[in-house]
Amino acid sequence: MAYIGLLSLLAVMLGLSVVLISLNWLLGPKKKEPYKTYPYECGVPLYDDTAQTTFHQGYYILGLLLLLFDIEVAYLFPWAVVYNYLGIFGFIEVFLFLLILTFGLVYAWKKEALDWQFDLESL
Amino acid sequence: MSIVALGIIIAIKVVVILAIILGIGAYLTLVERKVAAHIQRRPGPMVVGWHGLLQPLADGIKLLTKEDILPSSANQVLYNLAIIMALVPASLVFAVVPFGPEIHVFGYDVKPILTDVNIGIIMAFAFGSLAVYGVALSGWASNSKYALIGALRKAGIIISYEVVITFAALGPIMLAKSLSTYDIVMAQIHQKVWYIFLQPISFVVFVFALLAETGRVPFDIQEAEAELVTGFTVEYGGMKFGLFPLVEWYVEVLSLSSILTVLYLGGWSPINIPFVGFVDPLFFLGPWSGFIWFIIKVTILFLLVLWLHWTLPRYRIDQITTIAWKVMLPLALFNILITAFIAPLLRG
Repeated sequence: MAYIGLLSLLAVMLGLSVVLISLNWLLGPKKKEPYKTYPYECGVPLYDDTAQTTFHQGYYILGLLLLLFDIEVAYLFPWAVVYNYLGIFGFIEVFLFLLILTFGLVYAWKKEALDWQFDLESL
Repeated sequence: MSIVALGIIIAIKVVVILAIILGIGAYLTLVERKVAAHIQRRPGPMVVGWHGLLQPLADGIKLLTKEDILPSSANQVLYNLAIIMALVPASLVFAVVPFGPEIHVFGYDVKPILTDVNIGIIMAFAFGSLAVYGVALSGWASNSKYALIGALRKAGIIISYEVVITFAALGPIMLAKSLSTYDIVMAQIHQKVWYIFLQPISFVVFVFALLAETGRVPFDIQEAEAELVTGFTVEYGGMKFGLFPLVEWYVEVLSLSSILTVLYLGGWSPINIPFVGFVDPLFFLGPWSGFIWFIIKVTILFLLVLWLHWTLPRYRIDQITTIAWKVMLPLALFNILITAFIAPLLRG
């Protein structure tokens, strides 16, 4: 029952965004010109036909780190709520957990996964 | 409470949130341009209306009457889906923001929060994380190099600071013993302390993450107009272009500032003297003073963000993500350790 408000806001926002997307098609001019839909690139002919190719490895490592840490923070939320009722047991349990987590961070740090390794590229 | 009354109350709340997103969000563009102009010692928009007051309307009409363009090598479905994925989750965050205390109107007790559920904070962060889809899809679907580079940078920043912001928020949650946004504010009122006084490290980390997630200076490398023109929005035109800055710079800043106000600045509570009580210079407004306090706090945070935006230079992308993992994350972990010691000392 509590989620009715959220669902109605979701429905309204979905409708509104579809309307906002289509308003330009309804109100704007429609003149066809060959270079109007050309991808933006400094005013010169395209060097590559497509931009959907490889990209810097740094982003991939960020994605891996996100998977590791964001899932672990999800485990910590329930603990944070009931922390005061758990006593010394909850404290020790979670700090063992956080210690392992920090060890993971230190490992990534030592392996230079947190840097972007520009120096390897210039070789 | 009857079904009809419930429906009317929900409808009013939805309309208020829509007014915040479209009305206030649009007018904040004028505020930003005025503040930026005065920081740089020029008057800003002055032509349309008195001191440019009608400028957002003129901008909106201009954006709406532009031609609808689809870049020749773009993927049409993803290109339009990116706008929906950017706008919808960012607005849904407002569903869990408590704008004021429970009020009594026309015989009903009404909480000024759309969805008062016991996982409010998790929902706010979940919707915040979904913003990465809008950005990544827009860059990939436009099939332009500038758009792809900008989208990847922004996605990298969001996923780095998403981890930091959730670790930082664990501190106030441990003190409040609740994930409901309404109960977190009530806990601060009962304990007579804003959590900014107990969680200064976590507050600073949260503010940094707010700036990074909303693409504000010094973390606005995703648009870096000197090198990337405007990053992932470069292939969009008309209202489709207008929605991205609206969502990123205004709706998200407002929603994250509201969450920050709830977590650290006591939500709608008046000025706090730690562990002594609250001083309310607006006492003559009765229960409505809470709403004014909430608006004042969010306004101050928004002006702080604008001040930083128009004053500082920007970092490089690898510097931004390195700061997140090497400075912010260890600080947030350290803060959890400190909080674990002080949380049992707090009564109530």
